[in-house]
Amino acid sequence: MLTKLAVSGLKHRWRDYLVLFSGLIMSSAIFYMFEALATNQAFLKQNTSISMVGFIFQFGSVLLTIITLVYISYANSFLLSMRKRDYGLFMLVGARKRKIGQLIWLETLLVGIIATLVGIIVGTALTAGISQLLINALGLSIHKLAAWYLPAALATLILYVGLFLLAGLFNLIALTKTPALKLLHSNDQPNRPQLKAGRQWAQIIIGLVSISIGYWAMANLGTLQLAGIGLALVTIVLGTYCLFNAIFVWLMVVLKRFAFAHRGLNGFTLSQLSFRIRNYTKMLSIVAMLFALALGAITVGMGFHRETPLMAKSSNAYDMGIVNMTKAEQSKVASLKPTEQTTYHFKTKQKTVFYRASEFNQHPYQTIKLESRNSLDATTQRLKATQLAKSQLRYQLMQLQTPAFQYTTPVFLSDAAYAKLAEPQNRLTIFVTDDVTAHLATFKQLVKSQSDRNPSIKTGVLGGRYSNYVMINGMYSGLEFMGLFLGIAFLAMLASCLMFKILSGANADQHRYQMLAKIGTTAHQQRSAIRKEIAVLFILPGIVGVIHVLFGLKMFSMLMVSSPYTGIWIPFLIFAGLYLIYYLITVNIYKRIVLQ
Amino acid sequence: MTTTPIMTVTDLHKTYGKPGTKQYEALKGIDFNVQAGEFVGIMGASGSGKTTLLNMLATLDKPTSGEVTIHQQPITHLKGNQLADFRAKEIGFIFQDFNLLETMTAFENIALPLTLQNTPTKQIKPAVEKVAGQLGIAEFLSNYPNELSGGQKQRVAAARALINEPAMLFGDEPTGALDSKSARELMDLFTTINQRQAVSILLVTHDPFSASFCQRILFIKDGQIGQELKRGTASRADFYQQILDNLGTFEQ
Ligand SMILES: Nc1ncnc2c1ncn2[C@@H]1O[C@H](COP(=O)(O)OP(=O)(O)OP(=O)(O)O)[C@@H](O)[C@H]1O
Ligand SMILES: [Mg+2]
Repeated sequence: MLTKLAVSGLKHRWRDYLVLFSGLIMSSAIFYMFEALATNQAFLKQNTSISMVGFIFQFGSVLLTIITLVYISYANSFLLSMRKRDYGLFMLVGARKRKIGQLIWLETLLVGIIATLVGIIVGTALTAGISQLLINALGLSIHKLAAWYLPAALATLILYVGLFLLAGLFNLIALTKTPALKLLHSNDQPNRPQLKAGRQWAQIIIGLVSISIGYWAMANLGTLQLAGIGLALVTIVLGTYCLFNAIFVWLMVVLKRFAFAHRGLNGFTLSQLSFRIRNYTKMLSIVAMLFALALGAITVGMGFHRETPLMAKSSNAYDMGIVNMTKAEQSKVASLKPTEQTTYHFKTKQKTVFYRASEFNQHPYQTIKLESRNSLDATTQRLKATQLAKSQLRYQLMQLQTPAFQYTTPVFLSDAAYAKLAEPQNRLTIFVTDDVTAHLATFKQLVKSQSDRNPSIKTGVLGGRYSNYVMINGMYSGLEFMGLFLGIAFLAMLASCLMFKILSGANADQHRYQMLAKIGTTAHQQRSAIRKEIAVLFILPGIVGVIHVLFGLKMFSMLMVSSPYTGIWIPFLIFAGLYLIYYLITVNIYKRIVLQ
Repeated sequence: MTTTPIMTVTDLHKTYGKPGTKQYEALKGIDFNVQAGEFVGIMGASGSGKTTLLNMLATLDKPTSGEVTIHQQPITHLKGNQLADFRAKEIGFIFQDFNLLETMTAFENIALPLTLQNTPTKQIKPAVEKVAGQLGIAEFLSNYPNELSGGQKQRVAAARALINEPAMLFGDEPTGALDSKSARELMDLFTTINQRQAVSILLVTHDPFSASFCQRILFIKDGQIGQELKRGTASRADFYQQILDNLGTFEQ
């Protein structure tokens, strides 16, 4: 009988359950996506040679677990608030507490397990989809990535089911220990915002101090190593929460004193925000963390993406060298519109390559030199035969000599001495184009036709910008992929987090906005109130997130050759665009629910 | 008493349900006027169409046919901002379930219509305090609705309805959720407001005691006005008895 009642209650609130389920499914799907990378040792080993990446994944794992914890406690309180009234009613009509307890436990677990299982399936699909998308769009070379990875699925299942067991226990206690009458009315208790100066200041100070410690730890990860990551993790989460708690409450109370709070619906909006202040501060801290993670990951991913061609460019002044170029190859090269193309003649004898000095004096060879170890700024210099023979940088010419002669030292002879050599003469054609990454397919064909002629030639063995690009891309693809993949995952998590929070309040707001309409608010005023309320919820964590990223990027100065801050406005702009679109969607959905 | 009606209702019909589906005619041609400063009650059995009528009069719903004017202005075709402005300036509502915003304090709830009109901040506080003083809720202004009793909540709702000095005040069973003592206090308040500020009041109620505070009562039966009862110079107690007698015969 009671079970029937409970199920009918469930049917009645399918819309709320839909919100709850989609939120939980999204969360577990993203946790799975993350674990599919983090727990896949073969993938990590294959795609990174940097041990820091392992640390960073551990950092992410712990952080995501904390976020999941809050998220579930949040989802659970949503579930609880949804069912409180029903269970209160059951108690009033005389249902046994034991029976109700069983029902609560069952319901919580069922919701958890179903959502997690569906989430793992969705996560697998997302992993496959997103990785295909990234690999195709960016031309990455990724190996050993499995969309379905059992250890990741197990980790997700264990964490979520464990957390839901706890949540069920918590609900059991919360519901059976509360008097029936209080359950019936628990939805309309306001959180009266209180301004206690002492506590406020304490929170601000704790917040600032812990965030500073966190930023310091991230900047000094080189010396602190793994401990630094743990330290940064704890302090930044704590600091963000304290600051939000202190500043948000303070803002709401103080803003109400200003004249603008008495204009139109501003006062109403402030009240809406402060009414749910405690939920909001928790949610805003999570969103700020997710924002930072998503933006940070995307920035780092794009940083690697940006760095690959730059590194290739500064590795050699020429794109490729071709020995004894054929007619077909020549026409391909011509189609690339090279900005410079030079042909040198040479003869080889044992371990030496002999060039004609006169050719180098007529067309000096261009060398490239990095200004410092941690920079991609390079200077170029044209060297004649005698200078080149003495220069360290002649290895750049050696690289272009194709594998057969790659490690042979060039010697520059006078025309007369060169003519005396009886060995057959070869031609080395070197050329450079505007942008090696713009013609990757043609370069690939050039490599193929050369290796057809000479089987010892393979991509990556040839020197020059093109093969260096292929090599570096292979090395950095993993990092780039992880950055972008995780960035998208965190962005989706952030979306589901905010969405969840905002939609879970929509039902209560529907009735409030109806009331406002009755006392004469225009539809325009209502829409602008909704836009403002949701804008606050987007902007505050956005600001904090950006600050976190600006400090957090320091961690990556060890992994990148150039500064991780170069060109960050591009990912920031892209991210801002996505965030804005997401804001507009949320506002629209909200309007549709609230103003019918 | 003046003779210019503040509200006229002509041949009002309301049919629920779309053509082709199951339809129900809740109002079947209602005609009456309310004079400026009048205190009118509407009574009738459950399901007789009281709430439906009040919603039409108070612009909360649109009639199928017929017209309502307030201050000579036809109101049934108002839309959008005009409708909102009309609601904010000309009329006030009080509902059975209070309809207060639980996110705001009593003060903020009462001040809401003023802030909606962008009234200068300096004028808001005195206005709220004045009306709160009249309604005896001055000491509860900083409370949230869930920290108030039913009677206090209803007085906050009344204060919010009155703060814009509307021409008409509408109430749908405002005493419905109150005990008899709170109900009497609220009705006394309405009487005072009606007399002192010359606000016209239209109340829907099925409680004869609350109805006895009115000057005139319209009885609705099956979507039509069946009968009208005027208090004239009778005392409230006598009028109460009259209503009871009338209900006895009317409901047969
Ligand atoms: N939205 C609606 N759709 C269809 N029928 C409706 C709707 N609202 C009311 N009705 C019907 O119209 C009739 C009048 O309803 P109304 O709410 O006006 O009654 P009432 O006199 O206020 O009753 P009560 O004293 O119980 O509040 C009822 O028979 C009701 O079923
Ligand atoms: Mg009614």
